[in-house]
Amino acid sequence: MIPAFSVIANGDSALDIRFDAEPSEELSRWIIAIEQAINALDRAGIQDLIPAYQCLTLCFDPLLCDPDGLKNDVEALTRKLLARQPELKRNPRLIRLPVCYEGEFAQDMSAVSEHTGLSAQQITAKHCAPHYLVHMLGFSPGFLYLGGLDPSLHCPRKETPALRVPAGAVGIGGKQTGVYPQESPGGWQIIGRTPVELFRPHGNPAFVAEPLDRIEFYPIDRAQFEQFRQEMLEVIPLEQAS
Amino acid sequence: MTMRFLRAGLQTSVQDLGRFGLMRYGISRGGAADPMAMRLANLLLGNPMDNPVLEVTLAGPTIEFEDEISVAVVGAHFELTLNEESVGCNEVLQIRRGDILSFGQLLSGARAYIAFSGAMDLPKVFGSCGSNLLGRFGGVNDRAIQRGDSIRFSRIKSVAHRRLEEHFQLKYTGHPQLRVITGAEAHCFDKQAVDDFYNQAYQVSAQSNRMGVRLSGSALDTEEIPQQISSGLCPGTVQIPPDGQPIVSFVEGQTIGGYPRIAHVISADLHMVGQLKTNDRINFLQVTQEHAREILAGKFRLLEQLRAELSG
Repeated sequence: MIPAFSVIANGDSALDIRFDAEPSEELSRWIIAIEQAINALDRAGIQDLIPAYQCLTLCFDPLLCDPDGLKNDVEALTRKLLARQPELKRNPRLIRLPVCYEGEFAQDMSAVSEHTGLSAQQITAKHCAPHYLVHMLGFSPGFLYLGGLDPSLHCPRKETPALRVPAGAVGIGGKQTGVYPQESPGGWQIIGRTPVELFRPHGNPAFVAEPLDRIEFYPIDRAQFEQFRQEMLEVIPLEQAS
Repeated sequence: MTMRFLRAGLQTSVQDLGRFGLMRYGISRGGAADPMAMRLANLLLGNPMDNPVLEVTLAGPTIEFEDEISVAVVGAHFELTLNEESVGCNEVLQIRRGDILSFGQLLSGARAYIAFSGAMDLPKVFGSCGSNLLGRFGGVNDRAIQRGDSIRFSRIKSVAHRRLEEHFQLKYTGHPQLRVITGAEAHCFDKQAVDDFYNQAYQVSAQSNRMGVRLSGSALDTEEIPQQISSGLCPGTVQIPPDGQPIVSFVEGQTIGGYPRIAHVISADLHMVGQLKTNDRINFLQVTQEHAREILAGKFRLLEQLRAELSG
């Protein structure tokens, strides 16, 4: 179904294209297709595009762009693109992230067990089952917003956020799961840790995933965690992934 | 020619106008917290306005220079000394071999910018040599300046002494008015909450930095506000979290946010956020989109006028 949308001001230097539809893979595909089409316009003054679950934010230089003209053009372009299936310039991939769900890496596993009534083994199995959809990146450098967490793993955030969550920590917060790319404060329940660096400013690529890629977690033990090197990261074209 | 930091200051970092096109990866633009002060410092030296500078925060560094260069300090007003002789902000300072520039007491504002008549030899990361402090990349060794660090210069040119005319000098009262556009979710707040937002003076909280400025005042009622789905968040956006105390997202802010947005600081006034410090008081004034653009265009006309005057 073609989603309804509206273009609204987000301050004096950004527009939001907001879609009246629930977050879904189909909606994310449209949002990324529109993002790519706006990029292809190569229009002076467009500075940033930020895809999100139901919204695409377009940041512009108000001295270089006439916001009314930009709004009209973006509306027309969005309407045109929504009339057909989204065409994407890049084939999504499956990225397999190893996670050690053991010992001190899984400091909140018992809290999640208690809340869900599942054993650590069951939680690990359920957490590793889906191919999570990357809806977008954001919040902090390289953080992945993933869709597809098993509802039986939904678990409230901590009442008091931990002051220091290490880089690579894998957590559950409400209906979401994700990986902390940097050491930071955080309120999610931590059930494991990945040795993969999600953001490497000097790496090529600097980010392990893009919107519309899929993420699969697989369990590793402590020894495999220690031996893991970034070159061992498995990235598979999605059409070849089973 | 190298400069060496004998004292680092509280948070001194290399900055320019930031990085564009990376918000989709969660990387904020960063750049100078007060780009107007940065531009003025560069103009004094005849530099391109986005030439990389040092951003000095609240307590400044002591810098030893190996050889000659010209510098200008613009922005927050600090007591400055060159070899223990008092010197001024807002003017070109001629540095000679072995000179030591030292920042003393902060008199007003929060951040000053040191521009140089040369180019800092620093690697570019994502197209810029500025520091992204949260992302931990750029600048010297991917971090803020530490004592003992040094930065080398190339392409040093000589610049005549010049001083910013009084009317171009930035003044910081500690109680600025920030002009805003109504927020994308302003309609979710009841009239009382919106009135409370515009009619009070907020105090800047100590938990403020390049990511965001937290304000405290009488809490806005957020009980009836539906939960938002996370979406793109731009610098200057004023969000109201459940505790009812506003947070102004700033140059290294999150790129995705989920709190309702009551207002957005206009682009023309965002540089003033960079000069706020703990216990400063601010209030918000709503303007239209058209007015916001006129104010921005006006400020850039002044910069161009200054450029013409200085090169004339």
